[in-house]
Amino acid sequence: MTTTRRPFLRSLCALAAGLAASATLGLASAHADVLANVHKNGTLRVAVPQDFPPFGSVGTDLKPRGYDIDMANLIGKELGVKVELIPVTSTNRVPFLTTGKADLVISSLGKNAEREAVIDFSTAYAPFFNGVFGPTDVKLAQAGELAGKTVGVTRGAVEDLELTKIAPASTTIKRFEDNNATISAYLTGQVQFIATGNVVAAAVNDMTKLRRLDAKFLIKNSPCYVGIAKGETALTAKVNEIIAKAKQDGSLDAIAQRWLNAPLPKDL
Amino acid sequence: MFVQFTTWDIVRNLLEAGRWTLALSLIAFVLGGLVGLAILFARISKNRLLQALTKGYIEVFQGTPLLMQLFIVFFGLSLLGVDVSPWIAAAVGLTLFTSAYLAEIWRGCVESVPRGQWEASASLALSYTQQMRYVVLPQALRIAIAPTVGFSVQVVKGTAVTSIIGFAELTKTGSMLANATFQPFLVFGLVAAGYFILCYPLSLYAKSLERKFHVAR
Amino acid sequence: MAYQFDFAPVLQHSDLLLTGAAFTLALTAVGAVLGIGLGIVGALCRAWKISPFDRLFGLYVEVIRNTPFLVQLFFIFFGLPSLGVKMTEWHAAVLAMVINLGAYSTEIIRAGIQATPRGQIEAASSLALTRLQTFRHVVLRPALTRVWPALVSQVIIVMLGSSVCSQIAAEELTFAANFIQSRNFRAFETYFVTTAMYFVMALLIRQLLMRLGQRFIVGRPR
Repeated sequence: MTTTRRPFLRSLCALAAGLAASATLGLASAHADVLANVHKNGTLRVAVPQDFPPFGSVGTDLKPRGYDIDMANLIGKELGVKVELIPVTSTNRVPFLTTGKADLVISSLGKNAEREAVIDFSTAYAPFFNGVFGPTDVKLAQAGELAGKTVGVTRGAVEDLELTKIAPASTTIKRFEDNNATISAYLTGQVQFIATGNVVAAAVNDMTKLRRLDAKFLIKNSPCYVGIAKGETALTAKVNEIIAKAKQDGSLDAIAQRWLNAPLPKDL
Repeated sequence: MFVQFTTWDIVRNLLEAGRWTLALSLIAFVLGGLVGLAILFARISKNRLLQALTKGYIEVFQGTPLLMQLFIVFFGLSLLGVDVSPWIAAAVGLTLFTSAYLAEIWRGCVESVPRGQWEASASLALSYTQQMRYVVLPQALRIAIAPTVGFSVQVVKGTAVTSIIGFAELTKTGSMLANATFQPFLVFGLVAAGYFILCYPLSLYAKSLERKFHVAR
Repeated sequence: MAYQFDFAPVLQHSDLLLTGAAFTLALTAVGAVLGIGLGIVGALCRAWKISPFDRLFGLYVEVIRNTPFLVQLFFIFFGLPSLGVKMTEWHAAVLAMVINLGAYSTEIIRAGIQATPRGQIEAASSLALTRLQTFRHVVLRPALTRVWPALVSQVIIVMLGSSVCSQIAAEELTFAANFIQSRNFRAFETYFVTTAMYFVMALLIRQLLMRLGQRFIVGRPR
């Protein structure tokens, strides 16, 4: 026994030491300026949604398209680099950023204090027109009237964060994995109302006749921000500069018209 | 702004995604089977330390969700500065998971070979290796086929969680398509059919092997 | 870019995690009892070729085993309402788990029953045991003894697989984890804690079921 144990323990220690060494090395090399790296490599790696229309969903070629993808391409063009899109989900989008596997997250992120402790945010790049939708024959004029009602929402999305703040305590909020599940839950009568984007509701009304979605009230316009790794001030400044320019020259307005069917609000 | 998908667009994309599911499953089988065999021998060896280590290995990888194992391999190693590609992470994660289950399934099979067989072969002065090679393993193999193939079906379905590290395999592609088309019934019906086409032949094969070995007995 | 680990934002939601774990355990418990019960019935029909149930169970086993749990769950939660059967996410989750485990345990227990040599059943009838006695002592007990470890493993697989139920808004452990990390973006910390919780639950379930099996199926050591 003892003869087999010693070499084993020794090799375990060696392995641990090796891992520790590579870890410090890795952390040291990773602590570089992301913006400088982007320029050096000539590519900007952007994490984008693939299951959240109209911000990011797939086309018939399974390639992501939407507001967030156009935004990524706009930033890439301004930086003069190629854009590499990394399709992500709401579960893994932030880990891609914090582990340095992506340079930016453009995934209709809303911000709150807790989130700001983990990553940095740019200035707002997109408005979010969303509201609570339900059947035509049910009256619902404001958030207060949701008391005792059941609302479906996509977990972690901007509308989830906002609705959680404004809905009365007796509201049952059912949080589904993605838009598809939220919408299916409404269409099959599993929830009375859903909170979602205007454009999504319009598309659902176009494509299915199962159960109509009527706008009940608008959730306060809460914009989306680009996510950047903590402490990358140079990159944040550059992204903010690009967003400001795009707001001025109308290119952001064009993206909003294309995907949200509405002009960019003046106060964004 | 919303693209119209024809049914063929959906089927075509799912077929392409099915190839990922197939590739990931093959990696899991082959590597998981090889590592599982090594774990099996360590688990049933007479060395106490090996036994304890492999028992811990099996318990950890059987007792935690594959999704979280993959998450930790892919993102956790990155935090330590070891940058692994999604393929490596998937191969490592699926191998750890599959080998733990296979080793445990096979151990059950080896142990179900009656002790008398060991004793009889020992009395014939066979070495441990010979006992294994000629007496125990052939009998264990017969018992092992059905549960092994049964588990392989679970591995095929288990590859769905690799979407956490970026693989657009069958299930993930299905949910992407459902989100783009708002036709969940059509899409997930086809996804289910896709898995059935991949898995059912395995189930049939297991049945025929089982029958063959029963006749041989 | 060194990532600063901070478990406090996760642990402040420990009530959510614990409630989630309790729901996961409850789902698993109900699923295991009913699922294994269904499996025993199915295995008997299959092993003794009770027509037409043997064929029906055969079809059921193949359909369930060869399709993903997520799709089964979606079908129950989103598909059945269009046939007029509507249920809460919890009922859908329990039903999906029973149906899923029922199929796997049918196959596992059937293998156990078929491994019982026919001679033993003949011997039992020559000892004038009734059909029920034969079934209990000669068929079922040895079969369950033989396959109990496999059944326990399957229950744990189903417990880990129940994480999928978070997709239909059932607030079990994975739901709690994803909810927490959607608020504070602490994915690593949340997943480390959740993984550890699943691991402890798996160890406990294995210990508990192996002991129960030893006590009630194998019988106390003579």
